[in-house]
This record gives sequence, structure tokens and C-alpha cells, in this order.
Amino acid sequence: MKKFNIKYFIPVTIVILFLIFFSQVLNRDVSKLSSQLIEKPIPTFNMPTLFNDDQSFNTSDVAEKNVALVNIWASWCIPCRSEHEILMILSKIEGLNLYGINYKDNKDNALKFIEQLGNPYNKIGVDKNGRSSMVWGVYGVPETFIIHKGTVIYKHIGPIHMNELEDVILPILGKIL
Amino acid sequence: MTIGNFGNLLMLICLLASFTQLLYLLPKKIDIDYRVLSRAPFFASLLAFTLLIYIFVSSDFNYQLVVNNSHSEKPLIYKIAGAWGNHEGSLLLWILVLTIFNFIFSYSKIKHVDFKKNVMAFQSLMIFGFTLFLLFTSNPFLETEITVNEGLGLNPVLQDLLLAIHPPILYVGYVGYSLVLSFAVGGMISNKVDREWAEWLHPWVLIAWIFLTLGIGLGSFWAYYELGWGGYWFWDPVENASLMPWLAGTALFHCVIILKKKNILQSWTILLSILTFSLSLIGTFLVRSGILNSVHTFASDPARGLFILIFLAIILIISFTLYAFRGPALDNKNEMNLVSKESGILANNWLLLSTLFVVFLGTLYPLGTDLFLQKSISVGPKYYILSLLPITILLLLAMIVGPSAKWQNDKILNIILSINKLFILSLAIIFGFSIYFAELQLTQITLLTLCLTLIFISIKNGLRVNQDYTIIKSSLGQSLAHIGFGLLILSVVGNATFAQEKIFQAKVNDTLILDDHVFKFNSVEQTEGKNFNAITATFYLMDNKTILDTFEPEIRVYSNPPTVTSETSIIRKFLADIYVVMNIPENSDFVNVRIHIKPLISFIWLSVILMVVGGISAIVFRVKLTR
Repeated sequence: MKKFNIKYFIPVTIVILFLIFFSQVLNRDVSKLSSQLIEKPIPTFNMPTLFNDDQSFNTSDVAEKNVALVNIWASWCIPCRSEHEILMILSKIEGLNLYGINYKDNKDNALKFIEQLGNPYNKIGVDKNGRSSMVWGVYGVPETFIIHKGTVIYKHIGPIHMNELEDVILPILGKIL
Repeated sequence: MTIGNFGNLLMLICLLASFTQLLYLLPKKIDIDYRVLSRAPFFASLLAFTLLIYIFVSSDFNYQLVVNNSHSEKPLIYKIAGAWGNHEGSLLLWILVLTIFNFIFSYSKIKHVDFKKNVMAFQSLMIFGFTLFLLFTSNPFLETEITVNEGLGLNPVLQDLLLAIHPPILYVGYVGYSLVLSFAVGGMISNKVDREWAEWLHPWVLIAWIFLTLGIGLGSFWAYYELGWGGYWFWDPVENASLMPWLAGTALFHCVIILKKKNILQSWTILLSILTFSLSLIGTFLVRSGILNSVHTFASDPARGLFILIFLAIILIISFTLYAFRGPALDNKNEMNLVSKESGILANNWLLLSTLFVVFLGTLYPLGTDLFLQKSISVGPKYYILSLLPITILLLLAMIVGPSAKWQNDKILNIILSINKLFILSLAIIFGFSIYFAELQLTQITLLTLCLTLIFISIKNGLRVNQDYTIIKSSLGQSLAHIGFGLLILSVVGNATFAQEKIFQAKVNDTLILDDHVFKFNSVEQTEGKNFNAITATFYLMDNKTILDTFEPEIRVYSNPPTVTSETSIIRKFLADIYVVMNIPENSDFVNVRIHIKPLISFIWLSVILMVVGGISAIVFRVKLTR
């Protein structure tokens, strides 16, 4: 019987290399991860719209606009409710096109939400199980992207509060509008 | 004492008992009652899990987990399912499954006490590690610091019966492979890797495999019906994470059969046993650390990722190092002939592992480019389809030839003779189909012919009889599972080939023809709903003059705010699912109608059932070793 054979060490070597790889991946700068899309062209996506199964909300809708704002929301998301009035304010700004992505939601509830609180969006895409939003790097709701000529220039995680609207969002929009 | 404190106490008991039991792995043996020790973690985690369900059912908003994942107005079943529909709760379920397997194994009639204790000690090491993980980074019993009256968990997409039951089933399979790893480690330490070992292992591998198959099938079923537009598999990282152990596990139980029968491939079987659960662990790491973007992303926390990685490293390095030192001594000198059933199984092994490699690479590639090139890419279905196509063809071939070959030694001519008629029959059927119904391409003809041949051959093999004309039960499981696999590929290819979609501009009384389906646009009516006005169209699916089905797609007009929505009408039939949706363009006197036909979907689910039933009968009718 053989006692020692270098061949049998191949699996453990591969495993160790992978473990090192995983540890490197884990050490990645997480803040970089969240801003992966910044200064990059918007991702390719295509989804049906909330009001019409037959219509689509896709990359070209957003890319063709000079300034666009994409907001990821859901009716079950409580912070989204408080954020909604900010979006209603933003929708009144001329030249700014608002789009919504309805995330992991139930259609009836989503429609009721819009009915109660108003519709600030030019178009609302439906991402029923969260797959289409993956390309946007969405981790939760709400999240908001500001897009200038097809390039993502700002990403906001969580609801936009009134002070953030004044201190962050409006100055950014002021520069590009 | 609050429920939460009691839950924590139970998990502490689980931690200590499993720690005591894992001490058996130390060189200096301490004699302890392993049965008693395996019961404590089992009952402790079972009770803790019950408590968790209790706080969800009673909507006890003193607990953070309940606040974040439940709501008092949720239906009862979803309150229960809410207990494991989150990171912490599902981790407790992980631990419960680990302990269940250890508990049941403690009752097995294995006479080799040292081996049995080693298996249970290694299983306890895993229970210990995951319990530590739970207590320190993911405690489900954390109390809220402020008073909360209502939960946040009303996400309606998660309120789905299938979604609620598929994780527990998937986990039994996914985590069940832990015992297989413990078998490998125990076998190497006790120097007991032989035919008997394979016989002991056989049912456990199959149990895990059955649950994993069923779990993956249910997950896919859910995705199909919830998404609504015809996709059943998305090559999503979490789907891949469950597919990888399935592939390795499938290769493994085939090897176990050879080892049991021929006493060869010891070290290879050990390697596969380790690999299978390693893939379960790696999948868990990828999903739970949040490093992959996925639909299933649980709340990500770097501390959790680090903990799983360290634990993963400990388990993997122990097992693979043990293999590096013990591996060379395991193998027998028994030779293997090239033309034999065992080499057919081995070929199938390599093909399954190639598939595994493709999936592994596709899942990790985006991480690699992200890390080394600072570029994010996404790997799409095209990559998987193109890479897996040739492998699938070879796999089908191996599955056709392998079971028809004899053990040990066979002649190629014999094998060809035994399958040629069925092969020609299948080819004729597919060619006939291609000529009379729908023209097929060479790849499709190849795949479909092989699938059909596989189905026929497997039926033939399943119907083999003993001398007294009773069916040979031991090969029944294999036949059913292989028919299932053939049917699966057949339906997947058929679905991809014959899915149809067409847009019509239609007026009332028009006839719409899509392929051999004739639809009659019967009427448009206006109806009033609760808070909307609806325009409902009626389409009949006709067969000459008889109405087969009625489709009623709808357009809803809501008044406040003024919005228009369209509702799809879907009818699911045995051979195909049919979707009808309409849309009214402004200032026109016709409507736009879109019709989709998605064929053979029900056969995909049928094929999964066949594989599961095959697995069950493979356990029930497994051949006992003659001693």
C-alpha cells in the first residue's frame, strides 16, 4: 500500500486557493460596491409596466432623456410612503423625468398606493420578483438613481428626506438641468 | 424567563452537547454515550425552532425578527413560514436539519462503533460551528429595544404557499449531504471505506438527493407561476448554489453503487462525498455573505460572511487534508474494463462534473472580474446553454449506453445490438415529426432523438423480469429516474423550440390563427369593477365549431388617478400553457392582441416527480449485500 502520493494533495490545494479568493472577495470595499454604477452607463433592462402588461419600460426610456430619476419602490415599504411626497415635489420640476420600478409587489396593492398618494412617475416598471432590478444593484427599497444623458451620476439608498432633497438632490439637479 | 431567553438557553445546550460529542475526534478517546449526546442538540434545536414559530404565530413584536418579517394581519400559514423566510430563522432550520440527521443516524444498526462515533463526532463539529454562528452573528431571539406594535413584513410576493414550503424541503437535501461528508471523514479516520461502508451510505445519499431534487423542482415551479411569463429556470446564483450539490450528489450516488457492487473507486467516492457538501457550504457562503447579487439576497453583513468563511475553511481543510493523506491507501487494485457498466457510470460522473464546472465558473466569474479587473459583468443563460449543450448530448449518450452494458465486462457489439432498434425507432419518430409537423434543426433532432431513446431504453430496462416473471425491483428506481431525466431534457428542448408568440390587430368576429390554434374574437363588453371600469374581451379557442376554451383578457380603467391596466388571461393545459393579453391603441377601431403558447411545461414538473419517485424506489428496493 502506498503511503503518500502528491496527486492526492491537488484537491486540498485547489480548495485553499479558492478560500483565499473568497477572502479577497469578502474584503472588497463594500462602499465601492454600492457605487459600482456611478459614472457608468445605465444597465440594460426591460420590464412590463404597472398600468399595462403589454407595454414595456426599458433602457431606452431612460437613456434618451437628458435628466431622469429612477426610484425603486413598493407598496409594502413603509419608508416609501413618506418618501412619496418628496417624489411628488420632484415631479413638478420641469425637465426632470421620473420613473418608478415597482419592486417585489402585488399589483393591486401597488395600484392602490398610487391611487392614494398620486403618481409622480412618467412610467412605472414592474419587477415582480426582483430579478430585473438585479442589474441596478438594488439591495432594498427605496433606492433612487439620478441619470444624466444615460449615465448614472448619483445613487441614494433609503428614503429621500426633506433635508436631503434640499442639501443633496436639488444641488445635483441644479447643475445638470 | 422570556421565550427569547429560553430559546437562547436551548441553543446553548445544543452548543455544549455538540462540543462534548465532537471531542471524540481527538486522538485520546474519551468514552461517552454518543446516543444521549446526539439527542440533546436535536431536542434543543427542535424546541427552539418551535418557540420561534410560536413567537411568529403569536405576532410577538418584542422580537426584532418578528417585527422585520411578520405582520399581525398575515394569514396564519405565512406567519409560520415567516419563521424560516429570513436569515436567522433559516439558519436555525439548518441546525435543526443537521441534528435530525445525526439523531436518526444514532439509531442505525451499524456494528462498527468507532466508525459510527467518528461520523457523529464530525456531524457534531458542524452542529457546533453553525450554533456558534447563530448565537454570535444571527440570533433569532433578539429582543427589540423600543416598543413596537406592528410588523413590517407584508411583502406580498413572499406570501405564497410554494415559496413557504420549498425552503424546508430544499434544506433537508442541501443540509442532508452533511451526513455524507461525516461518513467520508468517519470512514477515513476509522479506515473503513469498503463495500459495507457504501451500503451504509447508500440510503442517506439518496434521501438527501430526493429532497434536493424535489426542492429544486418546487423552487422552479414557484418561479414559473409567480413570474407569469414562462421562465422556469434563470441561472440565478441561488438556483446555481442548489444545482451544484445536486450535480455532485448525483455523481456520488452512482459511484456509491459501483463501490457497493465492485469494491472499486474508494478514494473517488470519498472525494465526491466531500465535494458534495463542500458545494452546499460554498453555496451558503456565497448567498449569506451577500457577495453575490441575487434575488434571494438575505440581509448582508460582513461579519456573517467572515464567520462562514472561517468555518468553511476549517471543515474543508480538515476533510481535504485527511483525504490527501488517507486517499492513496484507500484504493483497491481491482481493475476496471473499458467496456462495462462501471465505466459507463464513470463517464457519466465526468460529464456531471463537467456540468458542475460550467455552473461553478458561471456563478463565480462575475466575482473574479469584479475583483481582478474592477469590472462588473453578468453571465447570462446563453453561456450556460452553449456550454452545456455538448455535455448534455454526451450525458444522454452515456445514460443510454451505460445501463445496457453488463457489469465488469461486455462487448461493444452486444451493447449496440441491444439499443439499436429503439434508437432507430426514436430517430424515425423525430424525423417523422420534423417532416410532418415542424421542421427541426440538427441539434434539436440530435437532442430529441437521444431523449426519446433514453426514455424507451429506460422503460425497457424497467420492465426486465426475473425468471418467475416478476419485475426486477432493484432497477425500477434507476429506470424511473432516467425516464424522468430524458423527459426533462425533452420538455426543456421542446419548450425552447416550440414556444410561440404573435401579435394581432383584431376586430370583433375576427379569427386569429397561431400555428394550429384557432382563436375567435367573440365580443368586447364593458363592465364595472369596485374602483374601475373594465373592458373585457372574449376569445374562444376553437376546434371546428366547438369551443375548447374561453379567454377573457381585460383592460381596466381606474378613475383616480386616471390609469389604464391590462390583465392577462392564462389557461394552463396539459400540452401547453396559453396566454392572451390585449391592449387598445388610441384612436383606432381594432385591439392589439398578443398570444403566447408555452408548450410542455407540465412535462417538466412530471419529469421532476418521476426522478423523485425513482429515488424513493431506489431506496426501498435497494440490493442488500450478501455476506
